[in-house]
Amino acid sequence: MTNDAAVAERPTNEISPPAVHASASPFRRALGALGLSPAGLAVMLACLPLLASLENEYWIKTLTTALMYGALAMAFDFTSGYIGIVNFGFAAFWGLGAYVTGCLSYHLGWGPWQGLIFSVGAAGALGLLLGLLTIRLGGIFAACMTWFVAMAMLSVTSNWVTMTRGATGLTIPLLFKSSANFPYLVTMVVLTLVSYVALSRLVRSKAGLAFQAVGMDQESAAISGVDANFYKVLNFTISCAFAGFIGWFFAHYVGVLTPQVLHTRATVEIMVISYIGGRGSLWGGLAAALLIIPSMEQLKSVQALSDIMELRLLLYGFLMIMVMIYYPGGLSELFRALCRKLGLLKWVTAAK
Amino acid sequence: MDALREIWEFFSTAMLRGGMYSLMAVGLALVFGVMNIANFAHGEFYMLGAFFGYFILSAVSKLGLPVFVPPILAIVGAGLGVAAVAGFFERTAFRALRRRSKGQWLMNTFLLTLGISIILQNGARLVWGAKYRGVTRMWKGQSLNQLLEIGLPPDRLIGFLIAVLSIGGFVLFLNKTDTGRAIRAVSQDETGASLVGVNLGRIHTLVFALSGLLAGVAGASLLSVTPAFPFMGVMPLYKSWFVLILVGMGSIGGSIVGGLILGFLEAFATTYLSNYLGSGSQEFICLTVIIVILLIKPNGIFGKSVKSAVE
Repeated sequence: MTNDAAVAERPTNEISPPAVHASASPFRRALGALGLSPAGLAVMLACLPLLASLENEYWIKTLTTALMYGALAMAFDFTSGYIGIVNFGFAAFWGLGAYVTGCLSYHLGWGPWQGLIFSVGAAGALGLLLGLLTIRLGGIFAACMTWFVAMAMLSVTSNWVTMTRGATGLTIPLLFKSSANFPYLVTMVVLTLVSYVALSRLVRSKAGLAFQAVGMDQESAAISGVDANFYKVLNFTISCAFAGFIGWFFAHYVGVLTPQVLHTRATVEIMVISYIGGRGSLWGGLAAALLIIPSMEQLKSVQALSDIMELRLLLYGFLMIMVMIYYPGGLSELFRALCRKLGLLKWVTAAK
Repeated sequence: MDALREIWEFFSTAMLRGGMYSLMAVGLALVFGVMNIANFAHGEFYMLGAFFGYFILSAVSKLGLPVFVPPILAIVGAGLGVAAVAGFFERTAFRALRRRSKGQWLMNTFLLTLGISIILQNGARLVWGAKYRGVTRMWKGQSLNQLLEIGLPPDRLIGFLIAVLSIGGFVLFLNKTDTGRAIRAVSQDETGASLVGVNLGRIHTLVFALSGLLAGVAGASLLSVTPAFPFMGVMPLYKSWFVLILVGMGSIGGSIVGGLILGFLEAFATTYLSNYLGSGSQEFICLTVIIVILLIKPNGIFGKSVKSAVE
């Protein structure tokens, strides 16, 4: 079997990134603690002046959306790429976070920041409950069960009009008083960074090792004394809580919520981004979102193609099929393979 | 009389829905059992069936044929059309994936079907627009009008009959013909089947097309109940997966029973419980039932040791 085939078959198994040892410099170890590689830091620093110089409101909005989808894709990948369970109701947790803070501010007049903890808590609690109930089933069972619950939640939000105002939309106070989009972008950048650092620290912790072990081979992990169900539920709960966290931002960013947020279509969009980015990499989803969403927006501005939303989504579907057939490892795997060829792997791997 | 009418209403709804859910679920179970593919584009096959059926019906009705001919042509044509589409995807996408790798097959094919579903949904919207296309009545005629007068909607009755006939024909095909035996052999052991001379590639295409055929027939025969629309596939997909999880994966016989169970559950919820629980009562009841069942029998009602095939 060629090396290429091995990569294609087992895309999730980059357990211990090679070439960076404990003897790494303190600087690199500090970076590694944040889940960053030297190359990653360089890219981030290079992006900062770019961000600060953005003036076009339209692009600021696009970038905010892209970052949001990127953060969602990371949270999704945290479950699908590490413990191998597809949360097919992911958007429902995102929507739950949004609706919790939305209802609190609409009915009780709470401010945005007060709702934050409840959004995260509600999504996490539901994740825990659902995890306890379905995660032990594993495989396609878990994917379907999360989906069924999401469909039920969609039905509840559509029909419980007195609470959610149904399809008319729930109006929610915005996060900032000014109408400028820049503060939202800054907030989203911070949220994305916080999510990334938190998730990658988790992945690198002892629990993270357990996640990967369970995801690769549950039986072997159990034989080595890893409580598979515990770690799976833990992972699932954390991922859902992060979805709620981003949902909280989304609610106070767009200002109007409709039940469509919870729709399967939203889940599929997040999934596509996450899988094109590459499973089990975290940053892959973020990179894919930053590449795909702005370029789709750019496509929209082409005269001949404007108004053709379907074309954009068709492209999504096509991209998904191509990635699955020809490169299931996705963008991150491609990047890794490229760096390995060029001998740059050391610089793109975060230290342990 | 009112009570009788209510009971009749309940049964006709339950049977029609149950029959159609069975029809959808059987195709899904077939593909899962034989090819180990979790098909999430199954709802889109249903959607295509509805569209094909609508266009054939409106084209053929103008020809002045006897009243029974156009709907029959529409349903058969829709089934064959969808079978061709499904076969095409199997030949291109799944075959390419199968050739390249077998690792993480279930996961990769699942995502592949999602991609196909996105393409079909948005392709349908691009071509036909976001418009509902339905008919008020499919089956017309003197004798059927009499049925309607005594409170039997002919479309429902015939819809149920179509479901029964299609499933019956399918089960006969699977059990009595050589090709059917070959399909069952592949589902039991791929290597063994290919050793005794079964052409795996042909069987895979056939199985996928067959599952598309059943979904297409379901979509076309329900045209008067659910009009064709590009995004209509989510509900039938959801229902058929529900049936599969309920009864256990990959069991054809189980799926038939499961479809009927779900039909009766939903009819019960809408007829008797919606006064107390509001319009979301269906989802609520179904979710409760499936959670209870999975707590007691994690592999579904009829599932035995399917878990190994799933993971």
